[in-house]
Amino acid sequence: MQFDPRRVALTLAAPVLALVAAVAIASLVLAAAGDPVIEVWRTILQPPKPRNVVNIINSASVLYLSGLAVAIGFRMNLFNIGVDGQYRLAAFVAAVVAAQGWLPGVLNIVLTIVVAMLVGAMWAGVAAILKVTRGVSEVISTIMLNAIATALVAYLLRKASVQVAGSNNIGTAPIPEDSRMPGIALIPGAPNEVYGFVVVAIAAGIAYSVLLSRTTFGFNLRATGRSESAAVASGIDVKRMVVIAMLISGGVAGLVGMPLLLGSAYSYGLTFQSGLGFAGIAVALLGRNNPVGIAIGALLFSYLNEQSNPLQILVGVSDDIVKIVQGIVVLTVVIAYEVVRRYGVAQEQRKVARELANQRRRDSEEVSAA
Amino acid sequence: MEDEPGTRAVACVPGFVRPGCSSPRPPGACAIEPRESTTGGPPDEVAVQLRGIAKRFPGVIANHDVDIAVRRGTVHAIVGENGAGKSTLMKILYGVQRPDDGTITVGGTERTFHSPSDAIATGIGMVFQHFQLADNLTVLENVVLGAERKHGIGDRARERIAEISDSYSLDIEPDRLVAELGVGARQRVEILKVLYRGAEIIILDEPTAVLVPQEVDELFDNLRELKTEGLAVIFISHKLDEVLAVADEITVMRRGTTVATVTPAGVTARQLAELMVGSELPSPATEESTVTDRVMLSVRDLTLAGGGRRPLLSDISFDIHAGEVLGIAGVEGNGQAELVETIMGMRRPTTGMIRLGDDEITEWSTRRRREAGIGFIPEDRQRHALLLDAPLWENRILGHQTREPNVNGPFIDRRAARKDTQRIIEEYDVRTPGIDVLAAALSGGNQQKLIVGREMSGDPVLLVAAHPTRGVDVGAQAAIWDIIRAARRGGLAVLLISADLDELIGLSDTIQVILRGRLVGVCDPATVTPQDLGSSMTGAGAAA
Amino acid sequence: MRVSKLIGTFAVVSLALVGCGGETNEPTTQTSESTGTGSSSAPEETGEEPQSPDYQIGMAFDVGGRGDQSFNDAAAAGLDRAAEELGVGFQEAAAETGEAETQREERLRTLADAGFNPIIAVGFAYGASVALVAPEYPDVQFAIVDSDAASTPGDNVTNLIFAEEQGSFLVGAAAALKSEAGHIGFVGGVEVPLIQKFQAGYAAGAQAVNPDITIDVTYLTQPPDFSGFADPAKGRTAAEGMYQGGADIVYQAAGGSGGGVFEAAAAAGAFAIGVDSDQYNLVAPEIQPVIITSMLKKVDVAVYDFIIAVNEGTVESGDVIFDLEADGVGYSTTGGAIDDISADLEAFKEQIISGEIEVPTTP
Repeated sequence: MQFDPRRVALTLAAPVLALVAAVAIASLVLAAAGDPVIEVWRTILQPPKPRNVVNIINSASVLYLSGLAVAIGFRMNLFNIGVDGQYRLAAFVAAVVAAQGWLPGVLNIVLTIVVAMLVGAMWAGVAAILKVTRGVSEVISTIMLNAIATALVAYLLRKASVQVAGSNNIGTAPIPEDSRMPGIALIPGAPNEVYGFVVVAIAAGIAYSVLLSRTTFGFNLRATGRSESAAVASGIDVKRMVVIAMLISGGVAGLVGMPLLLGSAYSYGLTFQSGLGFAGIAVALLGRNNPVGIAIGALLFSYLNEQSNPLQILVGVSDDIVKIVQGIVVLTVVIAYEVVRRYGVAQEQRKVARELANQRRRDSEEVSAA
Repeated sequence: MEDEPGTRAVACVPGFVRPGCSSPRPPGACAIEPRESTTGGPPDEVAVQLRGIAKRFPGVIANHDVDIAVRRGTVHAIVGENGAGKSTLMKILYGVQRPDDGTITVGGTERTFHSPSDAIATGIGMVFQHFQLADNLTVLENVVLGAERKHGIGDRARERIAEISDSYSLDIEPDRLVAELGVGARQRVEILKVLYRGAEIIILDEPTAVLVPQEVDELFDNLRELKTEGLAVIFISHKLDEVLAVADEITVMRRGTTVATVTPAGVTARQLAELMVGSELPSPATEESTVTDRVMLSVRDLTLAGGGRRPLLSDISFDIHAGEVLGIAGVEGNGQAELVETIMGMRRPTTGMIRLGDDEITEWSTRRRREAGIGFIPEDRQRHALLLDAPLWENRILGHQTREPNVNGPFIDRRAARKDTQRIIEEYDVRTPGIDVLAAALSGGNQQKLIVGREMSGDPVLLVAAHPTRGVDVGAQAAIWDIIRAARRGGLAVLLISADLDELIGLSDTIQVILRGRLVGVCDPATVTPQDLGSSMTGAGAAA
Repeated sequence: MRVSKLIGTFAVVSLALVGCGGETNEPTTQTSESTGTGSSSAPEETGEEPQSPDYQIGMAFDVGGRGDQSFNDAAAAGLDRAAEELGVGFQEAAAETGEAETQREERLRTLADAGFNPIIAVGFAYGASVALVAPEYPDVQFAIVDSDAASTPGDNVTNLIFAEEQGSFLVGAAAALKSEAGHIGFVGGVEVPLIQKFQAGYAAGAQAVNPDITIDVTYLTQPPDFSGFADPAKGRTAAEGMYQGGADIVYQAAGGSGGGVFEAAAAAGAFAIGVDSDQYNLVAPEIQPVIITSMLKKVDVAVYDFIIAVNEGTVESGDVIFDLEADGVGYSTTGGAIDDISADLEAFKEQIISGEIEVPTTP
């Protein structure tokens, strides 16, 4: 609405503070381990080559979708820890369906995406139903569902897989050539292309933004997250909101594996990237559940991941240091947001009190003048 | 319900004591005559002296030029409107905040407090309005918690507690579970906690807010015991009749500073009130009855089963007509909250029926009830009526998410919602710099005016108001009463729940008393006294 | 408006991330970016060690890296031996659990860009990335362990693959011969086709000796949870169950979890069979008596041979199969626990080599 520079500064203060703290702590860790601190940061901060930029954007798009899925839950205080299981199960089922090639070309892509969203939503829906009918904490149930998804995928994968003789990998059959999502040659000079699915990721971000801040549904969702008791008193059916929010969160989680499936892997196998759901939690925290913030968080994480690849080879430092940085960023950012939020509220209370005091003084002056 | 204007004017003035209000009350009904303050002869020794205290926050002066001397063996009341600076001052005295200027002298020595433990060490204790007790622990455990070094945690501590309880007539058994105690007893445990830690100066923050009249009397007896033993009691309140009843000296605060120190003998309630607000008070207007014969809300045989043996509500039946205010009197926890939540659709009754106008709404959702024209002022506004972290204009939408002018199809109509928020702020005199500030930034009174303004939007036919003026300042209280009266004149039916008996008597056309989930009696606000009401509420007296 | 803001932010952020390294210009660490410089005969630039001969070796480990006491360590041993003999330098990097495909690709590219040649990728997880990256660096010779030419093709890719089932057959036969209870066990790390090959061979070998033998089979985790290769506690629990159930010999193909199986065997006073390396030499002396033999998967030999072949210019792309015939798999005799049955085992070995016995690869 209004552009308030102070509010913007406050919003940016937290992540910047957190990042600085994380770099400082990681540097201490490096120094304590006797590793070359400067060299490490130099490697991480060196300009990425065009193909690395493509990789950063690609893996950011995946993290972004995961962050969005988590953020939808976070916005109403639902901790969907199960994005990880949801996207893996969804990607697996979608890969199986896509490989059948029931529909031609683009239609098959659409079908694949819809199937993935439905499976993700369904898996999240289990946790939602357990919560509203039996009061099971979604944190517990989604963690359990992650484990079940792992076992289920392992079980089904062996049934559905096609194994090339002699290979030690197993995976679903590759999806037909004509229903792979073409890449976009976005970065000049890069041999690789940006996932076509980046467009979908951006669209999902816009949809998230509109849904949350412009619609009645989004208002209800945010109100429930800010104060469940007030939401109930205002006539919001909180149970229904829990179910719908979990379904949406799971649906978006279903999209997480799609850039990989449709843009690079073309099948679901043992080496399909795992752990994206947990990275999404970190990214959502970092981005403060804000669509733009999540994008920045996703790009930052993906930048750090990408830039840490040469660390082992060129500097001889384990790229685990980047994991440490990411972990510290998340921790510090949570603390920093809380500090900045309290500071902001206190500031505002003072501002209100000051303006009212001025008002009152004017009133009393008028009275005494009269 | 036709009033005789004279008596009505006297009996109905809510809350705030106004001329002629306390005097016609039968002696002993509510106001306790101040005992001669010479009991034991308060020694002139000053227990605590505040001189020139000032506390500034950026842009706000919370306290300035505060001078108070509290003598041993006295009850010293500090009165003032909400926001007059009482709580900041007490935080300074209790070591929570440090003053920018001025000195604190305890027992003749100047002190600097860095934390409450410094204050406790010099013999200052504080009893907070919200009890800080662990329900699942015994009295003994609560008392020794954090003071284990004093007398251990065993028999020595138990003896000491019994000793304190006896010498100040606190009537506390060390091994009872706090969960089993009533509000009054819990408060005495808090006082005991403070005494156990060796306090000689005791600060009580709004101690009577949670008590029924009978319990207030008992508390005052305890306070008198304390002062006879030579302790100094600082009593914070805005209920002037209580202050006049119990205090030996009264300091009035206004806009962050002390404006006068008086003795109860030398001042009337009206004068005190005027000192507090700094101007002359409006006189209460006589209210004609506006009750019509059109039943707006009809509740029949409402029963709500609870987890325990006894239902939370049993066989509740009443009608509210258009233009009628029905007050529900009761000690907190006797089913008021459940009644409100059942009428609002937040709970489903086990049996019974609720009708709004011509519609049976028993099975309707909260949303549908609200859309049908029920406005709702919940008891705990911060938990149930506001999104503290959201701006005012978003709070305007809360509870009205499906209605004009806030929405446009599935979308929020921001512009219209903001515009209407502006209207509420102007019409209901919500003091705020703008509609983009967070609800948390407003004072309690202004938050409540916003809520009232919101609930009055969209032409409600029934207003369910639970403690509508709790914790708001005098100005906002008067404004909210005016709004309710005006709406009543306009044909609004009002269900009013309040712990403030003066408010109930003043606003209601009929009063029903609720006890253990049952309506146990009807009182006529024109004739009933707070004392009588108090008796019915505790089940002690026969219902009128 | 919101839309453009969002896209704008994307663009700005990516630019910012691209640009923020611009100031710290990096003169030393990066070598030439062109892909054609590092031919095996005459690399133009290989870092800053002037004493290094004309090439350096790059090695990309699987999860766990050097020090996993198992598969990666075997590869590292071959690397160390070759590097020492030839006097060449090397650089290594390890994978992380659940990493992205692009991270594996980048690891290979970084090695290639830095001038390392040949580059050895350890583990089938690199299958797709080697297939993708190798054509980008036609002058670099790649090797991949455990992925054959059908799944990882390339003109400059050598596929080092093993007949684990054959080695497992022999230790299975050994187990059946030594078992007094007629009851043995198998603990697999993660239930993937690779480990199922171990199981299949083991079972076939045992049944060849004693068709009525009881074989307990347990896998510690299911993919994509690969922790079964690195969790000794899980290994111990699984093996304890088998010993309590009456098994007296357990074969473990569980990587880092295998230590737990040995501990359980020692505690139960029973026996175990090691895997990949001759594990008798790797464990504490008090554990040694429980290890009657180990199934040898000579990754070290494969890596060593590959490097030597590159050095001599005789390297060939495509499948190089390490089976019993090529002495790429086998069994160990250290400790002497199976000396009494070596004649039987050698007979089985001959039958497998001659094709008389065909060992299954799936259970």
